[in-house]
Amino acid sequence: MFEPVLLKNVDVPDGHLLSTYEAGGGYQALAKVLREYTPDEVVDLVKQSNLRGRGGAGFPTGMKWGFVPKRADKPKYLCCNADEGEPGTFKDRIIMERDPHQLIEGLAVSAYAIGAETAYVYIRGEYATAIRRLEQAIAEAHEKGYLGRGVLGSDFNFAVHIHCGAGAYICGEETAMLESLEGKRAQPRLKPPFPAVAGLYASPTVINNVETLACVPHIVMRGPAWFRGIGPDKSPGPKLYCLSGQVRKPGLYELPMGIPLRELVENHAGGPLPGRRIKAVIPGGVSAPLIPEVGLEVAMDFDSLAAAGSMLGSAGVIVVDDSTCMVKVATRIIEFFHHESCGKCTPCREGLNWVVKVLRRIEAGEGAPGDLEQLEKLCKGIFGNTFCALGDGAAMGLRAALAHFRDEFVAHIEERRCPFH
Amino acid sequence: MTMREKIEDAAARYPDQRSAIMPALLIAQKEHGHLPGPVLEEVADILGVERIWVYELATFYTLFHTEPVGMFHLQLCDNVSCMLCGSEALLTHLEMALGIKKGDTTPDRLFTLSTVECLGACEMAPVMQVGDDYHGDLDPGRIDAILERLRAEAGQAIGADLAAASPGE
Amino acid sequence: MVSITIDGQTLDVESGSTVLQAAERLGIDIPTFCYLKRLPPLASCRMCLVEIEGLRRLQPSCATAVTDGMVVRTNTPLIDETRSSMLDMLLANHPLDCPICDKGGECELQDMVMAYGPRKSDFRDPKRVFHSRDIRLSPVIIMNVNRCIQCQRCVRMCEEVVGAVALGTVEKGMDTAVTGFEGSLASCDQCGNCVEVCPVGALMSFPYRYKARPWDLAETDTVCPHCGTGCQLTVGARKGEFMRVRSKQEHGVNRETLCVRGRFGLDFVESRDRIKRPMVRRDGALVPVSWDEAGDYLRRRLSAVENKAAGGLASARLPNEVLYQFQKLMRTVFRTNNIDCSSRWSAPFDTLGPLLASFYTRASLHDVIGNDCVLVVGGNVTEENPVTEYLLRDAARRRQTGLLMLSARPSRLDADARAVVRVPPGGEAASLAAVVAGLAAAAGQALPGDAFAGIGATIDRPAASTGREGPDRLVAALKDGRSVTVLVSVDLLRSPEARATLQQLNNLLQVLSLLGKGAVMQFLFDRANQMGAWDMGILPGALPGLRAVAEVAARRALERAWGTEIPSEPGVDLDAMLDLCLDGRMGALYVAGTDPLIAYPDRDFVKRALGAADLLIVQDTFLTDTAGLAEVVLPAAGYGEEAGTFTNNEGRTQKVRKFREPAFEARGNLEIFDFVAALRHHALQPSTQGEIFDEITQLVPAYQGLTQDGLGADGAFTKAAPTPPAGTFFAAPPTPEVDDRLMLVTGDCLFHNGYLSERSEILNTVADDPYVEMSAQDAGQLGLSDGDQVVVRSAQGELTTKLKVNRRFPRGLVFVPENYRALRLNSLMRRGEYPCPVEVQKANAAFEIAPSAGSSASPEDLGQGMARGSP
Ligand SMILES: Cc1cc2nc3c(=O)[nH]c(=O)nc-3n(C[C@H](O)[C@H](O)[C@H](O)COP(=O)(O)O)c2cc1C
Ligand code: SF4
Ligand code: FES
Repeated sequence: MFEPVLLKNVDVPDGHLLSTYEAGGGYQALAKVLREYTPDEVVDLVKQSNLRGRGGAGFPTGMKWGFVPKRADKPKYLCCNADEGEPGTFKDRIIMERDPHQLIEGLAVSAYAIGAETAYVYIRGEYATAIRRLEQAIAEAHEKGYLGRGVLGSDFNFAVHIHCGAGAYICGEETAMLESLEGKRAQPRLKPPFPAVAGLYASPTVINNVETLACVPHIVMRGPAWFRGIGPDKSPGPKLYCLSGQVRKPGLYELPMGIPLRELVENHAGGPLPGRRIKAVIPGGVSAPLIPEVGLEVAMDFDSLAAAGSMLGSAGVIVVDDSTCMVKVATRIIEFFHHESCGKCTPCREGLNWVVKVLRRIEAGEGAPGDLEQLEKLCKGIFGNTFCALGDGAAMGLRAALAHFRDEFVAHIEERRCPFH
Repeated sequence: MTMREKIEDAAARYPDQRSAIMPALLIAQKEHGHLPGPVLEEVADILGVERIWVYELATFYTLFHTEPVGMFHLQLCDNVSCMLCGSEALLTHLEMALGIKKGDTTPDRLFTLSTVECLGACEMAPVMQVGDDYHGDLDPGRIDAILERLRAEAGQAIGADLAAASPGE
Repeated sequence: MVSITIDGQTLDVESGSTVLQAAERLGIDIPTFCYLKRLPPLASCRMCLVEIEGLRRLQPSCATAVTDGMVVRTNTPLIDETRSSMLDMLLANHPLDCPICDKGGECELQDMVMAYGPRKSDFRDPKRVFHSRDIRLSPVIIMNVNRCIQCQRCVRMCEEVVGAVALGTVEKGMDTAVTGFEGSLASCDQCGNCVEVCPVGALMSFPYRYKARPWDLAETDTVCPHCGTGCQLTVGARKGEFMRVRSKQEHGVNRETLCVRGRFGLDFVESRDRIKRPMVRRDGALVPVSWDEAGDYLRRRLSAVENKAAGGLASARLPNEVLYQFQKLMRTVFRTNNIDCSSRWSAPFDTLGPLLASFYTRASLHDVIGNDCVLVVGGNVTEENPVTEYLLRDAARRRQTGLLMLSARPSRLDADARAVVRVPPGGEAASLAAVVAGLAAAAGQALPGDAFAGIGATIDRPAASTGREGPDRLVAALKDGRSVTVLVSVDLLRSPEARATLQQLNNLLQVLSLLGKGAVMQFLFDRANQMGAWDMGILPGALPGLRAVAEVAARRALERAWGTEIPSEPGVDLDAMLDLCLDGRMGALYVAGTDPLIAYPDRDFVKRALGAADLLIVQDTFLTDTAGLAEVVLPAAGYGEEAGTFTNNEGRTQKVRKFREPAFEARGNLEIFDFVAALRHHALQPSTQGEIFDEITQLVPAYQGLTQDGLGADGAFTKAAPTPPAGTFFAAPPTPEVDDRLMLVTGDCLFHNGYLSERSEILNTVADDPYVEMSAQDAGQLGLSDGDQVVVRSAQGELTTKLKVNRRFPRGLVFVPENYRALRLNSLMRRGEYPCPVEVQKANAAFEIAPSAGSSASPEDLGQGMARGSP
């Protein structure tokens, strides 16, 4: 049985209190790095661990930190991506609600490593409980000297501020988040310059996901070798999987990176609902192309899923069973992206609008010959040509649905109705 | 604290006042229920930023309302996980129970009904947010119970208002 | 330099260039929507995607920096398909109401679809419709949201170039729309630059709406008549009727931008306030007569006053040729050097002349403001020379120019400045002296020994009472700058301290050059041809070419060319001419195109003086207050009705073109001068515009080498022949007394700069009502709030108007724009006094306090302040 690390405290009553966290060895990693490590050594530690970002793209965290220039002519910032908007994802919320100090310690260690004295945690505004708990935790940590001027008697100063989102999925995209933090409409920025060089207020900035940061204290305490020993070497570590949809035991699971999708869904999450068969699984939030039942042997890590034409993304695993119309699922997914498109670039803003119109028509039994070709043409116009990855995610999702369940689309058009109704 | 003080307090967290527009709008909306033009102007004034910047943000983000909403804003998630778990039927149920369509507010201004994108609580799908609270694992029965409780709460609140207003008269 | 290959052609370009720029250099066309040359790339329209070898995805060429050895392709089937696909998606939601769209025929989307678009579209679903009606954002700007393609050029223009931050973008995704705060642009600059850069018919000019099709317009490139920045603009007329103004991306100092006056203020050419026929005074009233009758009358009157003094006053808005001919007429026919070119102030030529000769830099503004530091002295450049301000903002934001502001009036540009020094009204000279002293002290040994001794002797006195810290900040910044440009607002000339201010500028520029920082200076004139007027010798003390009248050689050269003698005595300025009038010594006073009665301090005095001239001749386009006092009124062609040239603040000479015939019986100004000269049996030779231009290029050194044909779309620069500065330093002015009264200053406001703008119907609809501005503190102390009707009272008179509280105003400062004739601001001013001490009170309170105090203002007069645009 895999021993949970990140979720150790979540089911403990009062897991969100500092006393609980300290009792379980909390803030020792922070004390240790302040005592024993230079910032560069912390960066090296994380590099050695092969930790890859848990926000979606899987970028090596140590390498990202390494891009931050050493010069100190400008303040540096650490931003925590707690926007968690990817449908099917709820892991960051649970960490912040039930074990917020784990995140704060992660923030402090990471800020020390990159030389930042200020961190902003960008939390989606809907997460009222998480916001409240994190606020309390920050106050507690401040009181105990884990935050503030001269953390734990060192000369490291560190403040954490919460910035509440207000309902826009695009704020999860890191450069849009920076725009939002600067008080602008959240639209992605051109890169280069990369945030590590010129991010928030044009200062060097690192953006990391909640789960990524939560891993850091454990790497410090247990060592990079421990971390690399879990799951595949190139994409290792304990991983949070969010299970939802048409599955018996939805919920948050901490398991090794690289666990086969089938094992995750069938053993841990209890498999399909009684009397149902799994038709497809979305492995990493709706941006990740769905995987039909036959593909469930795939291992849940960045590289294996990419090779299988999908992605680990946020590890929001959504299970779809045979009672469900795939055209409807695809339509709902594209509606989401259409609704959340920031409107900056032409293909995403205009293209998704046409995709939605055509899909809604097909789903309503008003499709016509040529519609599928038109959808494919639109996917081609959108994919690879949008400003940020939001448009790509939409196009990839639709392409996968068209590729694996074309018969359902054709049936809608030919029968002029939804076969599932 | 007055609204101005709260906003100035929030603004102190940032090196640039423009960053404080979003927090300020959240504060102003708590205070006023929604964000009509004069409130936006006041926010711009307090922060000393351009009015159009405030207006841009108030319309970009879905949690900000420039139009009034009911006392309770029922926000039912209809994204994929919730949809797979039956949110469509729940929407119909809510529309019947409240006698309004999604996007509308009941004539007594108690309830506004909306559907929203993923609330990040798919483990308890289908989910609905009311104010700060999430309600999960919903079915028609639980929805009815929630509505009943909210109505009672509203009755108390109104009663309390009346009580507060009457003694002097 | 890095080497890049595009479509097989290889080129070396500067590193940091974009692929798009490199392609442009090779003449390879890449379509763009969101790209605007003067703005940082947005890369959102995705029209400019190209293939780059080694990269998996197409890249936006507008935002991709070239790297050495990069291989780019812009003409592959994939790119064709992608472009067509982008256009297909855009067009599918575009209304395609081209037949009724103002932009039809000059729409970038139309053109792009013709060039790169799909031949047919498969989209069958209904189009998006936002709003079924167009939204009137302001009196001059109207928006059709459905047509918008979200290139964001307009919003970026508004924020980054104009600095108004009035337009913004609301909602997101498909609902995204460009608009103003709460859907209104009622309080923006109304510059219309957003309309100009809109590639489609989304943002439109309301006055031009549905008026013409582009292909029916006769377009004329000309120069804006509204201020000395001298923007290029293109007038569109249909059958001689003025229709619109637009601007061209590549042309002029302005490169497509204009301010509200340039873009919307040219309809004054259609003003009904024209002088239709010549008029002469009979039995106290002006009566219209024929040109012949006017000639007969004038001949008699001219000979009657022949033996008395004469004087001439001409507007700095008239073209060079007209001004040149005017001074020739005055000097050779009226035999006087009493010539001036401003009805608001007189320039002390003894100081001005050497300053211009040594430091005025005739060069493009773009270049001179690229220096490390630009010091802007006086005025409010945002309101007086808006397009110059755009360029300054750009220099500060994108070219690391350190802007330093020293003025009494705050301006929007202050926000982009590195240092702002607010001086008390009239305190410019003292502050400049402090800066000079500070620089000299700080430079110390760095200055050559004897030069330093010279400065030390004259200016080593403690700085003026303006507070040390302000000038110190300027000193610090100027010391660090390697190159410095000084831009001087001409409003400093209003002050009786004008000479002292010019002297301190001279000191400053000398110190800066001694410190090896170059010393570049230009004026910020508010009249379109002020520089030209000076160059043409519309000054009592200077001949064409800015050479002193007293200089024998200069006089001889002109006498030889003109074949007649020039009086050798320098003339007197406007102020002294008015004295001559009052003393009964003025015979003919010839006023061309200007209105001293509305502009010169102390209206009562001016009225008496003008009335006391034996013969007041007014030659003008519009019926001015001064014309109302004249004995003979001659109707002249207006702007756009005769050709000529203007010389702008940069010393750039540009063609002002004719786009319509003189209205009614008006005649060209040159023709009228011939007419008057002939009455005195003289012939002005040459007499046509082209020949006069040629004579100017021969006789005015700065204009040598210019040819009419050489004045292309960007005009041509006159050349300075810098004379080394005299090397002497002027003493610092006496320390101004601390005066805690409210001090009134005046100047232009954004929407008006007098005379012409006041006759623009469109400007009148967008301009504020007449107003007085003061600080929040002063208003608070006086118990006044924004919007109150207040009385502004000086020792001389009073006016009533609306109060505008300006939070950026310093205490003690009161500003009334000089451009509202109904206010009769000059009734408050006293000759030789500026700024003008005033009191401000609530309007009704004033009535209570002084119902019969015998003040000069009758209730009727007070009422005039409130009435808008009285006839
Ligand atoms: C459209 C879009 C939405 C995203 N949403 C999130 C999100 O909600 N949370 C998150 O952590 N990362 C999100 N990301 C990924 C972030 O851009 C970024 O890669 C991540 O925060 C980096 O943190 P990490 O390296 O720790 O993963 C999103 C990316 C895109 C393109
Ligand atoms: S209004 Fe015109 S310029 Fe502005 S974004 Fe829309 S299409 Fe572009
Ligand atoms: S011009 Fe490059 S993306 Fe628009």
